[in-house]
Amino acid sequence: MTGNTHGNTSDRIWQMSEKIRKNLSDIPLDDYASILNIADRMVKNKKIVSDSKKIAVLGTHSIQMIVKVLDAMLMEAGLPMRFYEGEYNGLAMDILDSHSAFYSFRPDIVILLPSYTDIKEYPNMMADEERVREMARSASAFFQKLYSAIHAQLPNAHIFCSNLIEPYARPLGNLEGNVFYSQSCFVSLVNLEWIIYKPDYVTILDMRGLAERIGLDSWYDSTLWFLSKQGFSLKYIGAYCNLMKQQILALSGRIKKCLVIDLDNTIWGGAVGDTGYNGIVLEPNDPEGEAFLAFQRYICQLKERGVILAVCSKNDEQNAKEPFEKNPYMLLKSEDISCFVANWDDKVSNISRIAEELNIGTDSMVFFDDNPTERALVRRFLPEVEVVEVPEDPALYVNALDSAQAFDWIQITKEDIGRTDTYVADKKREDLKLDFSSYDEYLAQLQMCGRFCEVDAETVSRFTQLLNKTNQFNLTTNRYSEAQIQAMADSDEYGLYATALKDAFSDYGIIACVILLFDNEICRITDWCMSCRVLKKDIENFTMKKIIEICSQRGCGQIAGKYLPTKKNQMVKNLYAELGFEACGNGQFILTKEQFWEAKTKSFIKEETR
Amino acid sequence: MTKEEIMNRLTEIYREVFDDASISLSEEMTADDIEDWDSLTHLRLIMQIEQQFQIKFTTGQIKNMDNVGALMEQIQILTDKKQGE
Repeated sequence: MTGNTHGNTSDRIWQMSEKIRKNLSDIPLDDYASILNIADRMVKNKKIVSDSKKIAVLGTHSIQMIVKVLDAMLMEAGLPMRFYEGEYNGLAMDILDSHSAFYSFRPDIVILLPSYTDIKEYPNMMADEERVREMARSASAFFQKLYSAIHAQLPNAHIFCSNLIEPYARPLGNLEGNVFYSQSCFVSLVNLEWIIYKPDYVTILDMRGLAERIGLDSWYDSTLWFLSKQGFSLKYIGAYCNLMKQQILALSGRIKKCLVIDLDNTIWGGAVGDTGYNGIVLEPNDPEGEAFLAFQRYICQLKERGVILAVCSKNDEQNAKEPFEKNPYMLLKSEDISCFVANWDDKVSNISRIAEELNIGTDSMVFFDDNPTERALVRRFLPEVEVVEVPEDPALYVNALDSAQAFDWIQITKEDIGRTDTYVADKKREDLKLDFSSYDEYLAQLQMCGRFCEVDAETVSRFTQLLNKTNQFNLTTNRYSEAQIQAMADSDEYGLYATALKDAFSDYGIIACVILLFDNEICRITDWCMSCRVLKKDIENFTMKKIIEICSQRGCGQIAGKYLPTKKNQMVKNLYAELGFEACGNGQFILTKEQFWEAKTKSFIKEETR
Repeated sequence: MTKEEIMNRLTEIYREVFDDASISLSEEMTADDIEDWDSLTHLRLIMQIEQQFQIKFTTGQIKNMDNVGALMEQIQILTDKKQGE
């Protein structure tokens, strides 16, 4: 209990009444009690405007709470509407009776909230595929009939219809996911049919997606169901109604079109002004780097669906642009950004500037910035901009932006995604379509590119890290400090080399390390390790080829390899033997100059030079 | 939690749900005594009590809450049980 943190009773009541005077938009969507209270008060004090649009909500289950909260949310969004509340269980009753109160209300918008219980007939056990498909078609046809009945009477009305959420109970257990006749399969099938045969005047409300995000365990509240026929837990009334509100706003053209992003610690780690374009955290082998890359990938997906991207960063413009041009891991490219603003002005003015340049309203912008001060300023001075609350951990950036559901459009048109862009994307995807019948063909189609370079200032950290944390593909398992590595790199005796790999799907960065000790005319491989992310791609062959090249250049007579067994590195026990070395016992292996050409160095990795 | 504490917090919740700062509760009070106390506000009351006290009523408990006293008793039982855990 939080009894102690409260003051005396009158204080508490004062806090409460403060809360009730708040706006809905200030309340988190999951504070359901406050949402219900505020909505109740707002609807009670609602002034009906005679020319406001009319909306009818028809549902299978209890809809009063839904109507109340939606009513309040639309009011607050400046789009107050008059509501018709359907009869309980009145989906078909209202719609199929052309003299019903529903039709005489003449709504502009109709919201249908059916449930899986509206499907009267589910497949029998063992029903065959054709029968199941047929039943799904007829379940879907029933809804087509409802749509066209509404459309015939109300040709100008737009219909929103929730898709079906799977029932909570799964009587077949794991078999629900194995047999076509299961209830959950059938519900999915009906949902698909709805998408395929959806008329233009219908938009589906993806409540299934919402329930999935939340999880069926908490989505359904059986107590509330038996008590008052609530179709889902009222804890989620905020999210549920918000989804409907967003779609209704989108129908009247109120959508977000542009994502404005910050740079430092938003799409990469660190400050580019301090570290330079290569010092930012964006390495695919660094967990934080990977998180930033994942966020960039998500932003790229938004761009692909037609969201305009803009950058708003406090930086010198040249510094800010450099990673886009020069950092090899950047997924976002200069050409993805429609408006790039990097200067030392305040972000409020810069966002207005971006809006002007792109010829869009600030009310169609979404702002994503890791800095809470910047967010607060934008919220304060540009309240029409949607400001996403950004978590501290970059791993959660995608979740934060995605769950804000800011870009909830009602449709995507060809114009949105831009013809040329699509063309490029389609071509790329076609190029990536893998079609292979052997592992070699698969490797060939991966279009792997390898780079074998001497360790330098840019790569020394990654090199040290990989050597020290690799246990499995590691021949000698020596551990070194970065200073030791640096000293070896500076000495002529040693050659420290790193292999980096890229393929058609991703850039893996540095994934293998080799340390060579040139001992007169013998080249000793003192260390060789490889990341397990890229096993079975012939990288060892590629690396061997490069080692031999270097030894030939330096005129080495033989290459000596060593295997020191540990509990974890059994997988490389036979590496040298397989590559063509001769075993001399005691974990020692030799490859003489005369045998260089016999070594196994063939691979599908194309060499890339920097 | 004492009876008085429960009564105080409950009063607060009633005032918020009915948007009426003048409400004062007594154990004998029933839905007939407050004008707006219908099935929907009852549901909101339950939701808010569950949220604030961090408890979950059973269907039977909600069904049998005839007056404020009965409601307080159930809250007492559930919060005691929670404390015991």
